Amino acid sequence: MLQSIIGIIFSEAFVFSIFRITTPILFAALAAVVADRAGVTNIGLEGIMMISALTGVIFSAWTQSAWIGLLCAILLGMLTALMIGFFALKLKTDIILAGIAVNMLGNGGTVFFMYLASGDRGYSANLASKVMPTVNIPVLQDIPVLGGILSGHNILTYLAFIFVALVWVLLYKTPMGLQIRAVGESPNAADSVGVSVNRIKYIALGISGALAGMGGAFMSMGYMSSFNTNMTAGRGFIALAAEAMGRGEPIGTMLTSLLFGFADALANNMQSLGLPQELVAMTPYVFTVVGLAVYAASTLKKSRKKLE
Amino acid sequence: MADTNVAVLMKGITKVYPNGIAANQGVDFSVKKGEIHALMGENGAGKSTLMKMLFGLEQPTEGEIVINGEKVSLTSPTVAISKGIGMVHQHFMLVPSLTVAENIVLGMEPTKGMFINYTEAVRITEEFSKKYNLHVEPHAKVMDIPVGMKQKVEILKALVRGAKILILDEPTAVLTSQETAELFKELIHFKEQGHTIIFISHKLKEIKQITDRMTIMRAGKSMGVFNTADVSEQDISRLMVGRDVVLKVEKEKAQPTDTVLKVEDVHYENEYGKKMLNGVSFSVRKGEILGIAGVEGNGQRELVSMLFDMVPPDSGTITVEGQNVTGAGQSRIRSMGVSHIPEDRMTYGAAGTASIEENLISDRFDKPAFNKGILFDMDAIHKTSDQLIQDYLILCRSGKQQVKMLSGGNIQKVVVAREFSCDPKLIIADQPTRGIDVGATEFIRRKLVELSREGAAVLLVSADLNEVMELSDSLMVFCGGEIVAYFEDTSTLTDEEMGEYMLGLKRQSPEEIRRVIHA
Amino acid sequence: MHKNLKFEIVRGAASILLALAVAMIFIFIISDVPFEALYNLIIGPFTKLRYLWIILERMIPIIFTGLGVCVMFQANQFNLAGEGTLFFGGLVAAAVAIYLPMPPVLHVIVAIVIASVVAAATMLIPALLKTKLGASEMVSSLMLNYILLQLGVYILNWHMADRTQGATMSHQFLDTARIPILVQRSNLSWGIVIALIMTVLVYLFMYRTKWGYAIRMVGQNQSFAKYSGIKVAATIILCQVIGGLLSGMGGAVEILGYFDRFKWRQLPGYGWDGVTIAILAKNNPLFIPLAAFFMSYLKQGCNLMQLNTDVPAEMLSIIQAVIFLFFAAEQFLSKYRQKLVVKSAKEEIAEKKAAGEQKGAEA
Repeated sequence: MLQSIIGIIFSEAFVFSIFRITTPILFAALAAVVADRAGVTNIGLEGIMMISALTGVIFSAWTQSAWIGLLCAILLGMLTALMIGFFALKLKTDIILAGIAVNMLGNGGTVFFMYLASGDRGYSANLASKVMPTVNIPVLQDIPVLGGILSGHNILTYLAFIFVALVWVLLYKTPMGLQIRAVGESPNAADSVGVSVNRIKYIALGISGALAGMGGAFMSMGYMSSFNTNMTAGRGFIALAAEAMGRGEPIGTMLTSLLFGFADALANNMQSLGLPQELVAMTPYVFTVVGLAVYAASTLKKSRKKLE
Repeated sequence: MADTNVAVLMKGITKVYPNGIAANQGVDFSVKKGEIHALMGENGAGKSTLMKMLFGLEQPTEGEIVINGEKVSLTSPTVAISKGIGMVHQHFMLVPSLTVAENIVLGMEPTKGMFINYTEAVRITEEFSKKYNLHVEPHAKVMDIPVGMKQKVEILKALVRGAKILILDEPTAVLTSQETAELFKELIHFKEQGHTIIFISHKLKEIKQITDRMTIMRAGKSMGVFNTADVSEQDISRLMVGRDVVLKVEKEKAQPTDTVLKVEDVHYENEYGKKMLNGVSFSVRKGEILGIAGVEGNGQRELVSMLFDMVPPDSGTITVEGQNVTGAGQSRIRSMGVSHIPEDRMTYGAAGTASIEENLISDRFDKPAFNKGILFDMDAIHKTSDQLIQDYLILCRSGKQQVKMLSGGNIQKVVVAREFSCDPKLIIADQPTRGIDVGATEFIRRKLVELSREGAAVLLVSADLNEVMELSDSLMVFCGGEIVAYFEDTSTLTDEEMGEYMLGLKRQSPEEIRRVIHA
Repeated sequence: MHKNLKFEIVRGAASILLALAVAMIFIFIISDVPFEALYNLIIGPFTKLRYLWIILERMIPIIFTGLGVCVMFQANQFNLAGEGTLFFGGLVAAAVAIYLPMPPVLHVIVAIVIASVVAAATMLIPALLKTKLGASEMVSSLMLNYILLQLGVYILNWHMADRTQGATMSHQFLDTARIPILVQRSNLSWGIVIALIMTVLVYLFMYRTKWGYAIRMVGQNQSFAKYSGIKVAATIILCQVIGGLLSGMGGAVEILGYFDRFKWRQLPGYGWDGVTIAILAKNNPLFIPLAAFFMSYLKQGCNLMQLNTDVPAEMLSIIQAVIFLFFAAEQFLSKYRQKLVVKSAKEEIAEKKAAGEQKGAEA
């Protein structure tokens, strides 16, 4: 048993699958990073991913262009996040509750619109939607092992990892990033120099929504090739845990996302070893709870000192 | 009508907050160009509200604002800044994890292409730092620099943004006397360069020393504008509080008996590794009021949190009548007979959204007297609450009213009513009268003395020198996390002497200090 | 207070009207028979007595989850595992109903109690992680939903499934374990009575006992609660355990009152409905049945709309989300509130002035 597990872990296909499985979590976790650094808890990520996953399918089917589908998914993700912003910032709805409402929309609302678009309820069987292309990297693809692991991924997988760097640059090298961090850490300070706290929060939410939108689009146009109900299966929430464990840093969050990807990939392979499918499906969630607990325990000592 | 000599004109300003409190009622306020103008008044008189409106943080419900002859609508700090107004807040508005230079250019970052030009940010900081003679370290993170420098960063922030009118909200509250003297020199320098300064304070001496004119506010209204040279300190104080302040609290000489609270060799480092308490030992006895004087931030807050087990000391012991406090939990500490008036009443002292009644029973709701079987005895609760409201003169419509709807003084009375009515053996009173009206202040001080004479041990922490000197039977001074002086008798003490101890210019010998430890 | 209540009512009504307006817009865009659809949505549920029984019957599970959310939200604990605990409670009740023969009545009671206790116990996970380690109860409770679902489906598939049936479902419950029907020729069981009794009990618990008081104080100002000597960690654990207890009980009552076998293979969504109605009820247990009735009525309207016209029933989740968002929006119509406040403050100032002048005149 142990030997076969080790055999799996060191196989090319397994490592390849880690990147694939990590992609949607990483997008959503980066979305959480940007929002969180601006002091906004975006728990609507799950719903945004669902909405974008459906949007990608519908628009790619209508236009027969995967890229337009992706663009629309990103736009709708952004709009949905901005809607959370409108309610939370303008109308002072508790941001958690606003996120919950978006998750409701992501759950039932998507079925509503899928039905309107295709007459389907369970999954988008009647929509001839497109899939984002995979990329074979010249030269790299010919290198043994490395080529098999790093080449041939969906273009969105590469984008996810490129966005890790972009989010890092955004946060630490640009005026907008400085303002985002300032707003997140001490909104009063930002306000006192005329940095509009709400404006920055809207922008951060918009970016967050766009990133989650890409994650959603990957689900229905990369990871799978259709939309079905509950397809994100809590990835938006897992991303929140990944972000917390990555301490809101893009690089750290990438590492924790990979860790979740690894656990998920491993669980999937365990199924081939004869474990009941339901228990395998449970693993990423158990892993998230354990990870969250370990992370919380490690920060406990530091926070003990703080005078409330 | 445009008087070119007037920098700021606020006419008929009324501000009603969403909770219904009218903080400003028809206030007129004007400041001439190039003067240092004091805005005075007790806490809660409406000074801060008025200045927040001038800086665009709040909008007036009624009235108009004219800046340099131009009628303006200050809808946000951005607009205020663009009109040449800058504000240095009492609580620094800085981002701790960013550097000084980053804080200074925040919101107006110099760029190179899409990116921040950090070198330029540092250059700007240094340029203004030299021009105005305000020394700061551009590369240091704000969380690592001392308070005095933080204030300079704040002032620089305003100047870099082209502020011609500077509002300083109680700038000296956190400064040592040397730093204050330095600040005053800088302010005079600004004035000479043509800046207008609005100086909020309630320290009479400072006002007399540095300002040209003053506006005095009381209970949300302006009491008038005066030339500083023409009014005496007594006049000012009368205008501020409406009568000559009666600070004397009659009290008999204390007859302390057994030790109640014993603190032994307590050490504490805060989360940033700064030593906040360094070997503090003292004891408080039945029947006495022991005061702690000191500039804020010298370990008093940490000590008080420890006495109530809100934070554990790194080493040392704290006992109440021989029982360990550390790790006991607030419930057990209260059952030892300890009560506590916390410094921050809206965070610790009360739940704003809960009713007065619910706030009054928060320490005793689980006692048999208030429970019948598993249910509350509502009659007993109403009765106790009504009695306390009556005894402590809490002004309200009924016990069902939300606490946040009350005035500061009445909220504090709710806290005090609860803390004083539980038959305490030890009372820890931390800033018991901060920011509340004179009537409530007097009432609370009298009660405190009364309880101590009935046999309670009282530890009084107060930043108000008057209060701590008047009320205490004996007094210690905190400086740099240590006790630097102990006076068994407060009646012969002078302000000047206290000041020297508080600022660390003087300290007593270890033997003298050790007298505060009783058997 | 009086003014506040008036304001809240106006705002609630406005939220509902707004949501219906949004629904109308959608209906007019997508439907060929918009008026018929609207009629079915709004009037439909009142056209037959049978529909009323359905509305009442659908209220049962969400009253329980709503009450659970009330208790947890009042302590400011954003525990969202109502969904998973309801599901799991239902499963446990089913197991007791199938495998532990007992006399009637007692069987029902035991099944409900065991289900509630097990569900409550699962809530210890987010609660303890929060109090011992400071981990966000929100994320861990969301994960708990998925864990309980997968665990439940595993148990159903591998240990409880009746292989003689076409679809995956459990064996039939023993008759002794079924909650009797309250209204003949409907599915409305005595469960509704249990739900209403629980409503009163939860209200008493929250407002008339020391535990409820502690929960509310922790929610309104945790620092204050700690300072007052309230055991904050214990209270946080207690409220989540009670939340789990209530939703687990809801699962049991729903399963034993409405079904004869355990058939859930997805989370049924009642946990989220519970969050919605708790928001509509402003976390006050006494308003929960009212809010549940409203939700249930909307659901029935949407179902009738789908049955009789071309608009899908999932329209519900859009209406629900809109109402939810506006109900929770503190600043919604705040200008109107500010006007009320300013007006009364001005009156007060004027009164004082008048009184002062009068005094002056007398003197």
